[in-house]
Amino acid sequence: MSTTNSDTRGGGVDQPRVAQREVTRARAVRRFKWTILTPFIVLLLAILIPVLLLQLYFSFNSWTIYLGSWWDADFVGLGMFKEVLTDPRFGWAIVRSLYFAVGSTFGCFVIGFGLALLMYRPFKGNALYYALFILPMLTVPIVIAYTAEMLLNQNGPVNDILAWLTANEVTIRWLTSPDLALTTVMILEIWNWTPFTFIIMLAGLSALPKEPIEAAQILGASRWRIFWEVQLPLLRPVIFLALILRFLEAMAEFPKAWALFQGGPGTTTETIPVYIYITTWQYFHVSKGAAMSYVVMLMMIVIVLIAIRVLRREKRSLDVIYERQRTETAGVGA
Amino acid sequence: MKRSTKRRWFTLFRYTILTFWVLIVGFPIFWMVSTSFKPDSEWYANPPVYISEDPTLDNFVTVWTSHTSTLKTQEAESMQRPWTALGNTLLVSLLSTTLAVGFGALLAYGVSRHRILSEVRMFQLLILRMIPPIVVVAPLSLYYSTLGLLDSVSGLVIVYFLTTLPYAVWMSKSFIDEVPREMEQAAEILGATRWQTIREVVLPLIRSGLVATFLFILILTWSEYLLALILSKAEVVTLPIELSKYEGSTEGRVYGRQAALAVGITLPLVIIGIFIRKHLARGFSFGMVRK
Repeated sequence: MSTTNSDTRGGGVDQPRVAQREVTRARAVRRFKWTILTPFIVLLLAILIPVLLLQLYFSFNSWTIYLGSWWDADFVGLGMFKEVLTDPRFGWAIVRSLYFAVGSTFGCFVIGFGLALLMYRPFKGNALYYALFILPMLTVPIVIAYTAEMLLNQNGPVNDILAWLTANEVTIRWLTSPDLALTTVMILEIWNWTPFTFIIMLAGLSALPKEPIEAAQILGASRWRIFWEVQLPLLRPVIFLALILRFLEAMAEFPKAWALFQGGPGTTTETIPVYIYITTWQYFHVSKGAAMSYVVMLMMIVIVLIAIRVLRREKRSLDVIYERQRTETAGVGA
Repeated sequence: MKRSTKRRWFTLFRYTILTFWVLIVGFPIFWMVSTSFKPDSEWYANPPVYISEDPTLDNFVTVWTSHTSTLKTQEAESMQRPWTALGNTLLVSLLSTTLAVGFGALLAYGVSRHRILSEVRMFQLLILRMIPPIVVVAPLSLYYSTLGLLDSVSGLVIVYFLTTLPYAVWMSKSFIDEVPREMEQAAEILGATRWQTIREVVLPLIRSGLVATFLFILILTWSEYLLALILSKAEVVTLPIELSKYEGSTEGRVYGRQAALAVGITLPLVIIGIFIRKHLARGFSFGMVRK
């Protein structure tokens, strides 16, 4: 260590030793990298590969729990996939999931962004509102489902309050009407996850660079135009981020839909996760569940890869903006 | 003059909207807390009872001590073991979170300082989190049962570790990125070794960030439902699953007890969440929100 010390202190460093150090350094980094990554990759593969193989096995071999040992399943080739792809219930599950995810993402985003816009400039009570607004995100989803069951009962407090507000009798069947059930889950999802978009949008708004906005103000632009033409484009990466993450999480939503409705009334709340769950653990039709899982997995991988592409592009554009800003301020400083 | 009236209107508008949303957010939480103090006659009352006229601690006592005072709900309650569930939840979530954050922070350090994972790989890591778990959980439970991991603490810890790792890496990286490299270089020049540098320079600077990451991941593992439902059946029941068992075959849902347990499950998360509220955005902003 002492040699390193004297090297750096005495400005004239001899070249070979520096090169030598670079090599040792690179080797140390590589060793560090593989020491960390190896256990992770081993664990991942040890779990993932058998699971995917089993899934593949079941998609091509028909098996239900009643059939005894799982290795006795009959080979059916692509039959299971054919059954899944021609099953209208599966088609509807996909449609419902998309409807649910798009609707709740939109709801979360509009409300979350709206609240963030009202709050990103400091005002009295700021911190208190913030602490209150994040509460739904901290509530366990299953707790939300059971609380909603009490609240949304036909004679429950929500209808009671609506009746008081409208001075009419209100008997909305939140939990039993086939037309309303999925919307009820969507409302709960929005209630649960608006804090998420709110937090992200608020952080995004507070982190906006001030200069472009001030410049626009000096040029006499109206508030409205500044919002649309300066703030919104700068916020684009954060907006994409909020939308994408919310959408993906909503596609996987299970606890609320399941605990409240178990797919019913009828099949009106059967989203993808619920339908796969019912097929596998209530009909014990493991093979059909596996084939569905593969179809859904492929679909989700495509969606996720597109999402990742978009996120990376947005992050790069952000990098460019911040880099430019840094060099500019550095230029002014010099 | 005109400008200040305009501003006053805006302030009024702001407080009205925000207060309205506080009511929307607060009411279900209020209802949960309020129900936990209601005697059983008020659970299904019509018209609904907002604040109990005869508040009681019965629900809490029954749920947490398994001492039942009313015969009516006995069947649903005699089966419950909330303390075991609490112990399981604590064990599973603390273990998996510690693993995810410890490992994630090391990985994040490597990425931040030596780019041991390229940006593409970092984003690909997110696939672990973004594919709905339902699509792998059936074969996973079968695989687990052959390994003897079904219904065990380690089984749950492994899946939670893998599914929360992406957030742990991304979040701790955002904190490590903020530590100026110059400080480490300075330490090295002064003769510190790699590990000394990490331990004595980097770690103290990111400690609060790591705590925030830890608590953030803890929130996720604490409330997880689907994987716990399928991978733990009888032995290692976690709190969210325990909660769904408060339903008797004859008496329907036991709302008051359920609410009392729900308060117990939610309270730690609320405390944690409020404590780390400033850092919450980091958990899922993937480097998109900067200071």
